[in-house]
Amino acid sequence: MKSFDRSDSKLVLAHVLFAFAALFIGGVAGLLQSMVKSGSIELPANIGYYELLTAHGVLMALIFTTYFIVGFLYSGVSHTLGGKLLPVSRKLGWYGYALMSVGTVMGVIVILLGKASVLYTFYAPMKASPWFYIALALVVVGSWLSGFGIFYQYIRWKKGNKGKLSPLFAYMSVVTMLLWQICTIGVAIEVVVQLIPWSFGWVDTVNVVLSRTLFWYFGHPLVYFWLLPAYICWYVVIPKVIGGKIFSDSLARLSFMLFLLFSIPVGFHHQLMEPGISPFWKYLQVVLTFMVIIPSLMTAFSMFATFELYGRSKGAKGTFGWVKKLPWKDVRFFAPFMGMLIFIPAGAGGIINASNQMNAVVHNTLWVTGHFHITVATSVALTFFGILYWLIPAITGRVLTPRMNKLGMIQTIIWCVGMFFMSGAMHIVGLFGSPRRTAYNTYNDHPDAVLWMPYHVAMAIGGSILFIGVILIVYNIIGLLRAPRGETEYPIGEVSEASEKTPAFLERWGLWIGIAVALIVFAYTLPLVDMIMNNVPSPGYVTW
Amino acid sequence: MPKPEDKKEEPALKGTFASVMLLGAFIILTWIGVFALFMARN
Repeated sequence: MKSFDRSDSKLVLAHVLFAFAALFIGGVAGLLQSMVKSGSIELPANIGYYELLTAHGVLMALIFTTYFIVGFLYSGVSHTLGGKLLPVSRKLGWYGYALMSVGTVMGVIVILLGKASVLYTFYAPMKASPWFYIALALVVVGSWLSGFGIFYQYIRWKKGNKGKLSPLFAYMSVVTMLLWQICTIGVAIEVVVQLIPWSFGWVDTVNVVLSRTLFWYFGHPLVYFWLLPAYICWYVVIPKVIGGKIFSDSLARLSFMLFLLFSIPVGFHHQLMEPGISPFWKYLQVVLTFMVIIPSLMTAFSMFATFELYGRSKGAKGTFGWVKKLPWKDVRFFAPFMGMLIFIPAGAGGIINASNQMNAVVHNTLWVTGHFHITVATSVALTFFGILYWLIPAITGRVLTPRMNKLGMIQTIIWCVGMFFMSGAMHIVGLFGSPRRTAYNTYNDHPDAVLWMPYHVAMAIGGSILFIGVILIVYNIIGLLRAPRGETEYPIGEVSEASEKTPAFLERWGLWIGIAVALIVFAYTLPLVDMIMNNVPSPGYVTW
Repeated sequence: MPKPEDKKEEPALKGTFASVMLLGAFIILTWIGVFALFMARN
């Protein structure tokens, strides 16, 4: 077994550790938030609820995820495309890391100074300090450099291996970064063309609906930027961890390409309740949103098939006998599996959110907060946690001990229990109408609002349990870094012998990018022209 | 037409079929549940 390249190991580890530092600080902000929301505590004089909310959202949803994803993708690209990163790719990785880190530190300082409590969606006409927008622009540009590093390594590998099918992990990493590059163009235009000149005072007003549209052009594929790396683990790593095979290489590649096509031209389903966008374009983008159900169900099918084939190879009988054969006591399987299981209600909730009438029921309620806490903060986060237990040992030349495995199992259970209370309460009270993004408020003791209170307390209880989970995952990382020396294999699954040969058109990048661009142009051109021609300008507001 | 020796035996995926059907049923039921709530509130 070839050990992981030392220089690459440093780059990957730097990203992973930064990600979890952000998770810890964001976790403190989240804990305090849930306590304030339930009326359990009052914050000392100068700390505002909305500062905490912004810090929590930015650090968890943007920084933790992006750093972990870049680190994870670089590790797999290094391992599967030649065993080490090319000097250019590694340099781009480090430049990206530096730029993102400067942006993160700057952004957090501006938020904590109370100059940018615009929530993580930075919705105009709420106006933050220009340095907040500049900070986040640096994070995005840094992530672009990291993406270029992955593209460079892939292109060079393809040139040196003409006619060969690229490794599945690398292929999926390129799709993920391609999705990211295409979607972040929207938010980059919003920040550079609209928000920075406006917040510096160079222009007096902002086109609100245009800025929100550009945000959601980025904001929905952002969800898939979080999910696709988790799917890489599910498709490529989990089969190896359980001792089974990848069900189908072609199915996996096709599902990723469909995610690329159908996760971008769909931002309007986040704006269903907004005026200024014609119902036809909202309808069209809802239809495109529902197309994402196809690759999602392909993924579910593929996972079930991998598990069933493995179970049957071990002698399982009956329709569900294979379930018993899965390695339930191995955290490398258990944590991502819980992520998969919880993705079932999460996905069902997503379909509800994207349906026009039902969006009216849940829009801007705590249901939505509950929804993204089981998608990104459970399905994605638990998968990322599960990755740690083999990634850190594999890149640092250590082994996962039974004790660390047990601690990982406990951490996973704590996370699921905490999220059951917190996200469950959010979903239910959201259906009762309790709004999201609001500090403690009894609404003059209105009877409806009083009924929400027990759920807000359940959210705080769940949030406190989750914070224990945050502390334990940090402890576990320290434990993994101090584990005994030894060799740990980087787990890459092999494709089942029963599966068909992968067709070459799945690697015709020009074709897929062309279709993606055509769909985006079709779904967005006329609505954008309409928004620019019929501008309703607004001055900025500091609402906090 | 494929030659007899090209025929591969299909793997048994009874459980997978049942699982995806249950998953689909869950999605439809939750969707109908919230749609009923929407109708009741109108």
